[in-house]
Amino acid sequence: MTPFSLPNPRLLRVDLRGNSMMARAGSMVAYDGQVKFDKAILGGEGVFGALKRKATGEGVPLMTCSGTGAVYFAQDAAHVMILPLQNEKLWVESSSLLALDSGLKTNTTFTGLRGVSTGQGLFTTTVEGTGNVAMLSHGTPLELEVGPSYPLFVDPDAFLGYSGQLQQEFIFDINWKTFVGEGSGESFQLKFSGQGTVYIQPNERK
Amino acid sequence: MKLNPNNLPRNDNINPYAFCVEVNGEIFIQKGKMIAYYGQLRFESLGAGPLDMIVQNAFNAPLYARDFIVVTGRGQLILGDRGNDVNSFDLEAGNLTVKADHVLGFEKGLICQQSIVPNYLTLLGTGKFLASSNGPIHFMEPPARVDEQALLGWADLPCPSLRYDHAHIQNALQAVGSIMGLRRTGEEEQIDMTGSGTILVQSSEEALKGRSDLANILSQVTGLHHNDLVQLQAHVAQRLRPN
Repeated sequence: MTPFSLPNPRLLRVDLRGNSMMARAGSMVAYDGQVKFDKAILGGEGVFGALKRKATGEGVPLMTCSGTGAVYFAQDAAHVMILPLQNEKLWVESSSLLALDSGLKTNTTFTGLRGVSTGQGLFTTTVEGTGNVAMLSHGTPLELEVGPSYPLFVDPDAFLGYSGQLQQEFIFDINWKTFVGEGSGESFQLKFSGQGTVYIQPNERK
Repeated sequence: MKLNPNNLPRNDNINPYAFCVEVNGEIFIQKGKMIAYYGQLRFESLGAGPLDMIVQNAFNAPLYARDFIVVTGRGQLILGDRGNDVNSFDLEAGNLTVKADHVLGFEKGLICQQSIVPNYLTLLGTGKFLASSNGPIHFMEPPARVDEQALLGWADLPCPSLRYDHAHIQNALQAVGSIMGLRRTGEEEQIDMTGSGTILVQSSEEALKGRSDLANILSQVTGLHHNDLVQLQAHVAQRLRPN
């Protein structure tokens, strides 16, 4: 696993020892040692992957960083959260992804209707395998557990990602009086049930 | 730390930017500030039928009725406001006046009324309420002069009035700017707080971070008088006219 650390809550440091990792293009703020940066694209490999990225809009321009040295990443002074994956799968909004171990596999999956109101697209990115992932969060991120006896409801605009055995549903508060006027997170929610963890930010995307 | 319904703080901050409310009954919150919840909760606009009695008793600010909703049921509600600090206050037979769009939520034991100062809401009675601020809040005693943007509100009875700093605008450039209505900084125009009580000042000159330009403008509109609104309407109509 490539070591990821946080010198401060809004800055990510990755130590490379001859290996490589991927990061959001343009997020590198400093590095020392001998590091090479190459263009790369997120979300599935091969011709089919390329087609899917084109069709879904979940393709985020990434770069591959390889070599030896310490690389620092940051984006808009957002908080960074490191998630170590142990042969696990993480569902994450591509706009919240900052960096990931090159050993991890990324793909694009259909998530349903969430994007209709929030403009985040109908698709989400999955990250699978063993390695570190760094996510961006505007404000300190929260990790909320979901258990069989306690489902969780989340504002789609605050949603960052989830891991574990979770079912995702879209809940419309069928109260048109709430809906009339402006749409707000309260009239349209994501429901998570099963067993797992949901990551959110104390912030609604604009 | 992973949070679940058993280890979530009860009516306390999870971190400076997120607050967990233990809901059992009804509370008022500002629209769009729920970020997540556990349990059985319902969200209703203030016009919804069965809630009329509670609303009549607790919510007395018709100008802001569209900005607030009622949460009913049992559960844990997590609130956040675009990464701004969330602060909670306990009022005991007291009063607190806060800038309207900083009021995140309040218990129904409190009565919410429009302040006579435009863009501010006054909360009266006993109960808990939540306010957001851009940076931590600093408490001050009157007499003091505060920048309008940095002023969050006041408790008890300071008397707010506008103070205009003539010495500052004797500077020629400043004077030109102020005549053209371009410059209005805290150095030139302040709110003078006199009387006895507490003043709440936030640690930023920007009212709330992460707000769109439109939201900033709309938050000011409620404070305008009729003539100003007519002018604004004419201005917008002119801008909308196809060239």
